[in-house]
Amino acid sequence: MPEFDVIVLGTGLKECVLSGLMSANGKKVLHLDSNPYYGGESASISPLEELYSRFRVPAPDKLMGRGKDWNVDLIPKFLLANGQLVKMLLYSEVTRYLDFKVVEGNFVYKGGKIHKVPITEAETQASDLMGMFDKRRFRKFLSFVLNFDESDPRTHHDMDPRNTSMREVFRHFDLGDDVVEFTGHALALHANDEYLEQPCLLTINRIKLYSESLARYSLSPYLYPLFGLGELPQGFVRLSAVYGNSFLLNRRVEEVVLEGGRVAAVRSEGEVFRCKQLISDPSYLPERVKKVGRVVRVLCLLNHPIKNTHEANSCQIIIPQAQLNRKSDVYVCLVSYTHNVASEGKYIACVSTMVETGNPEKEVQAGLALLEPILEKFLSVSNLMVPADDGRRSQIFISRSYDPSTHLQTDTEDIMDLYRRITGSEFSCRDPRDADADSDE
Amino acid sequence: MSSKSSLLKVILLGDGGVGKSSLMNRYVTNKFDAHLFHTIGVEFLNKDLEVDGRTVTLQIWDTAGQERFRSLRTPFYRGSDCCLLTFSVDDSQSFHNLVNWKKEFIYYADVKEPESFPFVVLGNKLDVSERQVSSEEAQEWCMESGGYPYFETSAKDATNVAVAFEEAVRRVLSLEDRHEHLIPTDTVNLHRKPRSATQCC
Repeated sequence: MPEFDVIVLGTGLKECVLSGLMSANGKKVLHLDSNPYYGGESASISPLEELYSRFRVPAPDKLMGRGKDWNVDLIPKFLLANGQLVKMLLYSEVTRYLDFKVVEGNFVYKGGKIHKVPITEAETQASDLMGMFDKRRFRKFLSFVLNFDESDPRTHHDMDPRNTSMREVFRHFDLGDDVVEFTGHALALHANDEYLEQPCLLTINRIKLYSESLARYSLSPYLYPLFGLGELPQGFVRLSAVYGNSFLLNRRVEEVVLEGGRVAAVRSEGEVFRCKQLISDPSYLPERVKKVGRVVRVLCLLNHPIKNTHEANSCQIIIPQAQLNRKSDVYVCLVSYTHNVASEGKYIACVSTMVETGNPEKEVQAGLALLEPILEKFLSVSNLMVPADDGRRSQIFISRSYDPSTHLQTDTEDIMDLYRRITGSEFSCRDPRDADADSDE
Repeated sequence: MSSKSSLLKVILLGDGGVGKSSLMNRYVTNKFDAHLFHTIGVEFLNKDLEVDGRTVTLQIWDTAGQERFRSLRTPFYRGSDCCLLTFSVDDSQSFHNLVNWKKEFIYYADVKEPESFPFVVLGNKLDVSERQVSSEEAQEWCMESGGYPYFETSAKDATNVAVAFEEAVRRVLSLEDRHEHLIPTDTVNLHRKPRSATQCC
C-alpha cells in the first residue's frame, strides 16, 4: 500500500499552504478532497449558476451576465500586504501564478456612517474619527508603537510587553474611547474587546503589521487576488504538484486509522494510504473538533459600489461591536468585476459576524443596509470549529474554521501555529522585498 | 524589419505516461530522459522562436502529474493560447481519451469559440515498434473533430517535435481576430520594493 509522510484532507487555503510548504520541505504528500473543486470552504464558486444551485436559489437572471465570468468567494477575505501569508507566497514563489490588486478602500463604521480609516498625516488631521486633542495623543501613541522593539527595553517606556495590558497602554497615552475602538478594531483587527485585558505585545505587533502593510502600497494595507481567493489554494496546489505530490479530488474519505493512538493510514474508496502525519480541515474529523460559535455570512450581488466609498471597486468596512451593542464586530467587504470575479459592472459584497442571537440575519442588518439595493442575497450560518487537542500525540493536526473577519490575519496565525506543531520549528523566511535596493526596476 | 514579440501560453494535455514532459524537454532543451517516470519539478519552460517573420516566446506549461488523477482545474488552463492534445501511438486508451481532454480543456479554459481554437494533435512514441493506433484512425479523428493538424512524433529521437510546435504557433498567429490578452494594468508587483516607504498613519 502507498506510503506518504503527510496526508492532507481538504483543499482549503490553510491545508494547501501547509501542503505546499511540506512538499517544498521534501515531504511526500498525498492530498484528498471530497469536493470536485479546490478550495473547500474557501473556494471561489464558478460559474454563477453553481452558486445559485448551492444555495438552492432559482437560476440567475440574464442581467447577471455570463455565468463563467463569476468567481464568488464563499468566504471573502483580504491579505495584509506585509503579512506572513504574503511572505509565504513570495518565499514559495507561488506569486508567479497569481496577480493581486490593492484593495481601494478601508472604512470603519461609527455613529451610523462610514469613515475612511486615515492613511496619511493629513487624513489623520482631517479625520472625524477623533477629536483634535485625541489626534495629538494618537500620534504620540503611534510613534511609540512603531518604534517598539520587543528586545530593546528602552523602547518600552516602562511598559512590560508580556504583562502590561493593552488597556493600560491606552490609558498611559490618555486615549479616548473612540480612538481606542478605532485602533483596536480597524488597525489591530481585533474582533472584540477581549484584547484590552491581554498583554499588549500582540496588539502592538498587529498595529505595526497594519502600518507596514499600508506603507507597501499606500492606498490600503490589503491585497486581493484576481479571479478570487480560490486562486490562493490552487497556487499552492501547483507548487505542491511540481514537487511531485498527488491530488485526488472527488474522493470520499471513509476512515482514519490509528495505531497505538497515532495516525497510521487513511482509507478512501477502498484504498488504504499510510502516513506519518495527517493534516485536515474540521469537516473530515467531526469527532476531533469542538464547536466554539457560529458564523453568519450573507453574500450579496450588487450592480453598484457601496455609497460614500468614493466609488471604490474593493473595500472593507469594519463595524466595531460597540457601535451595535454586540459582542463581536460586523465585517463588510466588497470586490468587483475589476478583479475578474463578476461580470461587467457587477459587485460582490459579503457581510459577516459571529451569531449571538436566534436571528442571525437581523444581526447583520446594519451591514446589509449599507449595500442596498441588493440584487441577490445568499445567507449561510456555519459552525466555528476548533481542534479538540494540539495533535502532538496523534499527529493529527486540524485547522480552525474561518472566522467572520474579512482579513486573513487570524487564519495566517492558525497556519503558523499548525506549522509549528507539525514540523517542530517556526516558519521563518526573509521577505525577498527587503533585500538590496537593486531589486527596484 | 521590426518584429513584434509576444508570449504564448501553450499546454500539452493528455493521459499520464504519453510523453508530454519528454516532448517539452526535447523541444526546449533538446534532451530526452528515458527514466522519466512521473513529472517532478518542472514548472513551465520558455522557448523563443521565429515563425514567418514573427518572434514569439512560447511558455510551455507542464501538468506536473496532475492529469493522472484528473485534478487540473481552471488556474492551470486559464489564458492558454494553444493546446497540444497528446496521446501515445502504442496506447489506444490514451487516443480514445483525447475527446475527454478536449472537453475538459474547453470547459476549464473557458474557451469562448471552441470551433476556431487552435488545437494540435500529437501522436507520440513513434519510435516504439507495436502501434495500437494507426495514422489513418488518428487523421480521421482530427479531421472530424475540427480539422486539427496531426503530427506523429518521437520525443526519443526528436522526430517531428519542432515542426509540431511551430505549426501550433502558426495556428495561433493566423487567427484573424486574435486580440492581445487584456492585461490588468493596476495589479501590484509583490516583488517590487516600494520606491519610497514612507511611514503613514
